[in-house]
Amino acid sequence: MMQRMIPILWPSFIVAGLADIVFTSLFDPLEILYRGEALIEHRIAAYSIGFFVFWILGIASSALTCYFQRGADAINRCPLPSRQRPEGCPKRECDGGCE
Amino acid sequence: MAQTDDKPDASNSAPIEQQLYAIRQKIQPRAVHGVFANWRVAMVLLTQLVYFGLPWLKWDERQAVLFDLAARKFYIAGWVFWPQDFVYLAGLLILSALALFLFTAVAGRLWCGYACPQTVYTEVFMWVEQWLEGDHIARKKLDAVPWSLSKLKKRGAKHLVWFVIALWTGFTFVGYFTPIRTLAAEAITWTLGPWESFWILFYAFATWGNAGFMREQVCKYMCPYARFQSVMFDSDTLTVTYDTSRGEPRGARGKKVDYKAAGLGACVDCGVCVQVCPTGIDIRNGLQYECIGCAACIDGCDQIMDKMGYPRGLIRYTTENVVKGKYADDGIFRHILRPRTILYGMLMLVIGSAFIVSLATRVPLRVDVVRDRVALSKETDDGLIENVYRLQLINKDGRAHRYTVEARGIPGLRVVLSQASISAAPLQTVDIPVSLVADPVELDDRSTEVQFTVRAIDAPGIVDEVKTRFFNR
Repeated sequence: MMQRMIPILWPSFIVAGLADIVFTSLFDPLEILYRGEALIEHRIAAYSIGFFVFWILGIASSALTCYFQRGADAINRCPLPSRQRPEGCPKRECDGGCE
Repeated sequence: MAQTDDKPDASNSAPIEQQLYAIRQKIQPRAVHGVFANWRVAMVLLTQLVYFGLPWLKWDERQAVLFDLAARKFYIAGWVFWPQDFVYLAGLLILSALALFLFTAVAGRLWCGYACPQTVYTEVFMWVEQWLEGDHIARKKLDAVPWSLSKLKKRGAKHLVWFVIALWTGFTFVGYFTPIRTLAAEAITWTLGPWESFWILFYAFATWGNAGFMREQVCKYMCPYARFQSVMFDSDTLTVTYDTSRGEPRGARGKKVDYKAAGLGACVDCGVCVQVCPTGIDIRNGLQYECIGCAACIDGCDQIMDKMGYPRGLIRYTTENVVKGKYADDGIFRHILRPRTILYGMLMLVIGSAFIVSLATRVPLRVDVVRDRVALSKETDDGLIENVYRLQLINKDGRAHRYTVEARGIPGLRVVLSQASISAAPLQTVDIPVSLVADPVELDDRSTEVQFTVRAIDAPGIVDEVKTRFFNR
């Protein structure tokens, strides 16, 4: 599971950091208005929340990449380990390259 | 992070997962002494002295290096940078990247081996480990024994010391972004703000996790630089290299044996180079991306060579071309200058000069203009045309200044201000309404470009100009 989580969490973390720096350098978060009122009162809070919003977006994107990366073999694969399959089961073993 | 000391178990019910991923064996590197180990200790001390000390330095009654995020101002010594000065940050990053490329092309992964925070904190955490849990053999034994009170004590003490270091690191990190003295006072009185506390703990947790558990995995799986550093290498790049021609065929032998007569190379196959490696590789297999260039194997091998009475340098910093016999070790210096390094050097020189010139001639004033949104223009009682603007003056200087406003672009153009000059305190932003008045006979078009010039009365050279449009009736 960890092997799967790190490629999702880590690249999105890097991207979120960069995005937060670029975004908050260009825009002062105190000047962001929502229906005429300031959306947020403290800059540190705005930067932090902004970072987590970017991170969540990145996580969503990376997770989808991982999700769609599964090949046909991985999707078709029998969930049972080969030993537990019934006698005469036509399921082939995958040739490697699938998870 | 699970401590995966256990070997992959073939009878486990998920055989395919195991074929794809080698489960990480925890590495307990053997401590090593020598020239390069000393360099690393020196670099750890130097970098940490800078990191932990810098935020406490003062300059003109304020923190010398402070990236004040809450106020959107960066203070570095006498300079104050505003978000509009982002280009300097970009310039600095480009220069750092080029410097990294240059160092990598010349001498490989110097950064990784001696200066990277991941290396430095892993080193510090391993000192603690060595101190509280003993050498690599004792640590491996401790890993293997079942949990007991004495194991709990040893592990507990280690984690306590790690945690204190990590917490201090996190506190210092946040101290670069909010004034550290205020932060210290708040920490002592237990009144830290929620976000400050959060980031201190977050950074502390990251330090503890990366330096205590992840270690070489960060370099192997998470570091972007480790992945692409090889493109900066060429055959003249200094890398940690095992001299195959001298070492092979490797094999055990007695100290007094004439190994050449016995058909052996200089490598006694003692395995010290593997035991000391923090990433757990065998450098004798050649250059690998896992090698962070720490040179621990050089120190380890040199000790063995000394014991055997063989010359040092079976593993040494050398280049591929030397190993191939194209030139001797003393030719390395001559081969530093080559198209790649000259190109990096030239780029650094050009960008660095532009950076310095731009910083030296930087005007500590910025003027922005906004047109009055209600009316484009209006006619005065005496038949002239008036346009109203708002000028925003940012005094980026550490001193107060008074400014005058002039305008040009139309013959006879007049500036109407409520006062003769504008005052701005240090680092103050002033918003003032200003009118321009022109005679309609001078206006040919619907609108004409005009230019405001704001000039400090008390300091020559502090001038900024801004363009806008003047509208006819």
